[in-house]
Amino acid sequence: MASEEKKTLEQELLFAIVKERYGSLLSDEQLDEVRQSVLGLSGFTQALRSVPLTNDIEPFSTFRPYRGD
Amino acid sequence: MPDELQFKSIRELAGMIQDGQVSPVDVTESFLSRLDELGPSYNSVVTLTGERALETARQVASDIAAGHDGGLLRGIPWGAKDLLATSGGIPTSWGAEPFRGQTFDNDATVVTRLEAAGAPLAAKVAMIELAGGMGYNQPNASLTGPPRNPWNRDRWTGGSSSGSGATVAAGLVPFAIGSETWGSILSPSNNCGLSGLRPTYGRVSRAGAMALCWTLDKLGPLCLTADDCGIVLDAIAGPDPNDPTTYPHEFTYDSNLDSARLGRKFRLGVPKDVTEGAQDAVKANFEAALEAISDVADVEEVTLPDLPYVPIVRTILMVEAASAFEDFLGEGGPQKLTAPEDHYGPYARTAILATDYVRALRLRGVMAKQVDEVMSSYDAIAAPTSLTTATPVDEHFRRNTSGPGDIVGAIGNGCGLPSQSVPSGFDSDGMPTGIQFMARAYDENISIALGRAYQERTDWHTRHPADLLPAG
Repeated sequence: MASEEKKTLEQELLFAIVKERYGSLLSDEQLDEVRQSVLGLSGFTQALRSVPLTNDIEPFSTFRPYRGD
Repeated sequence: MPDELQFKSIRELAGMIQDGQVSPVDVTESFLSRLDELGPSYNSVVTLTGERALETARQVASDIAAGHDGGLLRGIPWGAKDLLATSGGIPTSWGAEPFRGQTFDNDATVVTRLEAAGAPLAAKVAMIELAGGMGYNQPNASLTGPPRNPWNRDRWTGGSSSGSGATVAAGLVPFAIGSETWGSILSPSNNCGLSGLRPTYGRVSRAGAMALCWTLDKLGPLCLTADDCGIVLDAIAGPDPNDPTTYPHEFTYDSNLDSARLGRKFRLGVPKDVTEGAQDAVKANFEAALEAISDVADVEEVTLPDLPYVPIVRTILMVEAASAFEDFLGEGGPQKLTAPEDHYGPYARTAILATDYVRALRLRGVMAKQVDEVMSSYDAIAAPTSLTTATPVDEHFRRNTSGPGDIVGAIGNGCGLPSQSVPSGFDSDGMPTGIQFMARAYDENISIALGRAYQERTDWHTRHPADLLPAG
């Protein structure tokens, strides 16, 4: 499968999840706008995934165990 | 209002109060009257808090009469973006119809700190609904109507701290507090011709503020001068046990920091192609601004690391906002918002995969370290605050921009860096432009010092809309 087709298929599958969760709250026109937005997110995710990250690069946020006393 | 109060800086008003020329109660009553009279013209006020303001002002007057020492904010009225919680039955609407009339039992930490400094809370001021987090693309996105710009009511103020911008620019309050997740302090500062400071992430407690994006939200002042921004930041900054993300060290405003004390010129980095896509006036005014401070600042072109800044920060923003309002989305709450595009805007974000969000968080660390390494050769990055002046109040503002996107805004907010914006002139329609000085983390005093240096050499910050100036 061509790369563009794969990207579109992924976004369509993700849109299907949104539709399943929230479709009853949205009109057909609004759902179409949501679909276009989900397809548009592909550019962002591809940009993120294109930067190689090694195993040692952690999320830039620190978890600290909590103790109330 | 007595003509001598309007458009005075905090420092000037504080001097007048200290010298006994005016009383804190007179000052507060004057600004309350102006808010009441003119606030609706700009759709800039949600709730007047006059009774509470006068109570603070009377207490300040009593303290002064008793000879008690105090800071520069005593008796200086202010406006709070309507996402800061206020007790006593004063509503906190978050700018959104579904939350109209919402009340809280406690005050936000910044409200508590400013009132402790003697600053009377005069109004809860307008904002874009839910701080613009639902994806609005035109100004009519607030329960108070489209925010109108004091320089031209047919233009908008910028957002999402729209009322914070309009009330200060119209001389309705000497300063206001806004919030920025991405652009919401600097955009109205630019559009309304104000001095606005986005502090370092964690410098100011977010406790009691509506959460849009936990790792990007910041609170900061919009004022008439950079010096005033320092005065306000000094009062609101500092660690807070109610916000675990606050930086553990206190902040003290250094109003005397300048090139002479540094013993050298400031070093400014200007990102390559930073004016690409800018309006002609924005570009010309930015270049003139750099020239205006050339006696105290050397400028060098800087090439920023090649990273997907906008996708990194947008991904973090979209996912955290979708989570912060997940229950609201599930109840169909967005359908009750004002802007039609906000009715459906937030739903697509729920489709971002968790691995992509975590990848953005990992890339954020790469970005923060690489950007800091570049910035370590400079005191600050200089850039136009916005590539455009205020757009018409009835137009989609996202259609009015071109170029690669707000790279400096993405870096500044993604890395949590402070930035001082100051007015840098006007376009041919008389709308303000701005220049920002973005420093390394926790270097607010550098950002403010650069803004102050620029304002010592220019008079843009002393100009105000002609129809709002005192007669004569």
